[in-house]
Amino acid sequence: MTAGPVVGGLRAVGREARRLRITPRFRGRELTLLLFVAFALVAGDISLGATRLVQAAQEAGEQPPADLVVLAAPTILTIYIAGLFLVHAALVLAGRRTDQILLPTMGLLGGIGLLLMIRLPQDLAGRLGGLAQTQLLWLVIGLIIVTGLAVAVRNDVWLRRYKYTWAAVGVGLLLLTFVFGRDINGARLTVTIGPFSGQPSELLKVILVVFLAGYLSENRPLLQEESTRVGPFRLPPLPYLAPMVAMWAIALGVVIVQSDLGAALLFFAVFLLLLYVSTARVSFVVLGLAAFVAGAGLLYFVVDRVRTRIDIWVDPFADPSGAGYQVVQALHAFARGGLIGTGLGGGLPSIAGRPPIPALHTDFPLAALGEELGLVGILAVLGLYLVLVERGLRIASAAQDEFRAILAAGLSLVIGVQAFIIAAGNLKLIPLTGITLPFVSYGGSSLLANSVIVGLLIALSERTREPLPPPRVTSRFRRLVDRGAA
Amino acid sequence: MAGHERVGGTRPPSRFPGGQRSAGHARPVSGSAPSWAGRRIGIGAALGRVAMVLAFAFGSLALGAGYWQVIESQNLSTSGDDAAVIAAARNVLRGEIFDRDGARLAWNKRDKNDEPYRVYADNSLSGVIGYANRQFGTAGLENAWNAQLSGVVSADPLRELTRKFQADPSDPETLKTTLVLQLQEAAAKALGRNRGAVVMLNPRTGEVLAMVSTPTYDASAIADPTTAEATFQALQDDRRTPLLPRATQGLYVPGSAFKIVTSMAALSTGAITPTTTYSNQPAAESKGWLIDGFRVRDGHHPMTGNKALDFREAVEASCNIYFAETGVRTGSEALTDYATRLGFGAALPFDLPTGTSQITNGGGSLPGGFKDRVEIANAAYGQAEVLVTPLQMALVAATIANDGTLMKPHLVLEATGKTGTTTVNPQVEQEVVSSGIAHEIGAAMRLAVNGDVGRFFTFGAALRTMVVAGKSGTAELGPGQEPHSWFIGFAPYDDPQVAIAVLVEHSGGGDVKASPIAGDLLRAWRNWKNG
Repeated sequence: MTAGPVVGGLRAVGREARRLRITPRFRGRELTLLLFVAFALVAGDISLGATRLVQAAQEAGEQPPADLVVLAAPTILTIYIAGLFLVHAALVLAGRRTDQILLPTMGLLGGIGLLLMIRLPQDLAGRLGGLAQTQLLWLVIGLIIVTGLAVAVRNDVWLRRYKYTWAAVGVGLLLLTFVFGRDINGARLTVTIGPFSGQPSELLKVILVVFLAGYLSENRPLLQEESTRVGPFRLPPLPYLAPMVAMWAIALGVVIVQSDLGAALLFFAVFLLLLYVSTARVSFVVLGLAAFVAGAGLLYFVVDRVRTRIDIWVDPFADPSGAGYQVVQALHAFARGGLIGTGLGGGLPSIAGRPPIPALHTDFPLAALGEELGLVGILAVLGLYLVLVERGLRIASAAQDEFRAILAAGLSLVIGVQAFIIAAGNLKLIPLTGITLPFVSYGGSSLLANSVIVGLLIALSERTREPLPPPRVTSRFRRLVDRGAA
Repeated sequence: MAGHERVGGTRPPSRFPGGQRSAGHARPVSGSAPSWAGRRIGIGAALGRVAMVLAFAFGSLALGAGYWQVIESQNLSTSGDDAAVIAAARNVLRGEIFDRDGARLAWNKRDKNDEPYRVYADNSLSGVIGYANRQFGTAGLENAWNAQLSGVVSADPLRELTRKFQADPSDPETLKTTLVLQLQEAAAKALGRNRGAVVMLNPRTGEVLAMVSTPTYDASAIADPTTAEATFQALQDDRRTPLLPRATQGLYVPGSAFKIVTSMAALSTGAITPTTTYSNQPAAESKGWLIDGFRVRDGHHPMTGNKALDFREAVEASCNIYFAETGVRTGSEALTDYATRLGFGAALPFDLPTGTSQITNGGGSLPGGFKDRVEIANAAYGQAEVLVTPLQMALVAATIANDGTLMKPHLVLEATGKTGTTTVNPQVEQEVVSSGIAHEIGAAMRLAVNGDVGRFFTFGAALRTMVVAGKSGTAELGPGQEPHSWFIGFAPYDDPQVAIAVLVEHSGGGDVKASPIAGDLLRAWRNWKNG
């Protein structure tokens, strides 16, 4: 055997690849980070396996076995890690010069969530053989979405052109929730149509960012410089305030109709942040915050759920076994974890076979991680979200135009703000709202929506300079508006 | 953040609507811009500020996590609301409880979820051992020694710190109590369907040998999760209040049994001597002794005739007038002082929570809070506002039996965990009276059981096999109510080893119910003692 045929074969493959216009590009940083992620997840799974062996031996009244190195859920973990490397391979083959940090960061967060789902009682939720298997399915679908968007999205015309169409889709989703929504724990978040069910507000947050990016980038100059004089005050241009008021009303509506405090808070916060990003006018933010305070005050007196949540937040220990139960137990979980935690599987004492917090897998994963990974683990998880946001903002500041900048900033801020809202709720810094911890919480809608975000961010991060999309064919109406505003 | 401007600068301006207006994001505000708006900054700079806001928000999250996980960690994770503490109570096998001879009083079974629940040896234990149930909590000894029995709290702070790293963090302790199961059963049987209480203890050591409250209840049914709810509800609705541990928390008028307390104060302060007599006493018995417009009445003058009684005879005949006069002569200050030494006026130093025995309601102007001399006179023979717990009266008898020294009553001999055994040693609580005075009162109590006059009031308490000393009581409760029946005493007279208090609610005079029960139980004690 000589090297000749092999080299020749490789050359043939290369020729074929070039013919198909595939030019693989090595992604060394991503590969290194993914190897680290794989190592961390395997270590976590072994830790969980060892804890389980010790616990089982204890219950049987025996000495724990000498060999404790065993994976708790080898198949699930193998599939997930293989999935991560397959995404990496696809991105290498695609040959685009895109971000290499986002995938490993998302991968680690998703993996930590998966370990948590493996660790929790499997019958908490999920149709597909239990919590962990269902979560794995959604994670794999999420990775496929990331791959698809990161490889295929090469221009953004379909996003920027049809912003009002997207807005219509968003409103449609809201209506869908209103009509087909099912009340779960007093909140109308879930829509069930036939065998499918999901939480539209998760997808809505992506659509909202796309719409805002389109709207704000187009009207940026006007919003930045015009002003209206009302008496002694110079206010932002009133005609352009309309969407702001609309946003405020939508957020309020989401609260009143769906009792979805978390989503409303998220929408409004992201809206204000993007408004500031695009206009740099602090006055907008101040005005928005004033509207928020007024709205919140109104809701406190009108909506029982809001009042309950705020009262619990003020003093959860007033009724530790009733209304404040979940919040108090979450704080206890953090407290039990202490600095370094109990180790995966070592905490969350079960009462009658159930974990101490009912909504552990959806609303309180951070409390679970706080107990089992300790303060150190919490800081690491929070750090991962900051990395995601930092990458997103970096992509935004390097973007080719305002639309892409605001889009990238909005997408990453959605993840950052959402993580903050639920983490702060768990830690009693703000009232608790039922929103997911991105990539960690159990749930398909949340994972899919956040995967869309990461996929879009990776696509937006491409560094080759592409020609910008052609200007939109301006309508007669549009020309009139432009003339009037100028 | 400079990237955006670089890219933006290279952009063909004409291809993006509005691009001309925004080209160069760091462009200073033109003259036409409103003055309030300040200097315009570009998207890059705005993104930087947003990033700072978010970093600040996440910093506050880190501080919040630090607060709960470091500063509040200890407080929260050891509180009773903590899931780990609750789970330990559910999952950990509570330590078993034994009587002093090794008979099992409480142990564990497992339900269908493999969670343990408590089982108790006998209903007679309900008033002292109590119960432990995950829904309804704990009572009695199960409550008082809960930390040791469930093993969640360790006395050693260093062990507490490293607890969560140990393979098995809990260390439930086994309790060996001072109780005697066969005496418990005998007492419950003797009280029968009556409501009442029996306390038996070793006067030399303060070890409680028997402590029974009736009606008893089935503590195992409360502990068993399948029957707990219904049982507990029924017991709470029961008008006979079986959940009240009468021996320690029931408060009753003591009647003549209280004369022993008055005797201690009177003899110790020298208000009377054993030979003191009151010349007006025999005559007063027909019409009552008048003090400040109130007549102290007495009912047994036919038996004593016209003789003026001395101290021993007054105890034997249980003469109310003698003690009313003695009480007034002793004064409320000395009475209060000696009652306080015996444990009145405060919860008793005991494993279980106790009711507070009192000699007056307080609030009066005389020392100790008495209203007037009439109240003192009536209190001196155990009426007026005197209220006592059966345990308190057992301690009164035990103090006489132990030469005037009150030993601290206790229920646990040993607590044994993985790390070793803690022993509870006898402890002197109070030197109440001198041994001479204790012997004088003891001699009078011997007559009250065995004397020609006394045995009519304490019928059934005297034994052929052993000399018993004691004092009966008939607590008058006012018109229309049967009096409470009391007996307190000790045995054997020459070398007291057991003190006893028997209370039977609304059952008539001391001789009717309490004295025969005391006799039965002292016989049972002797049988137990002789093996």
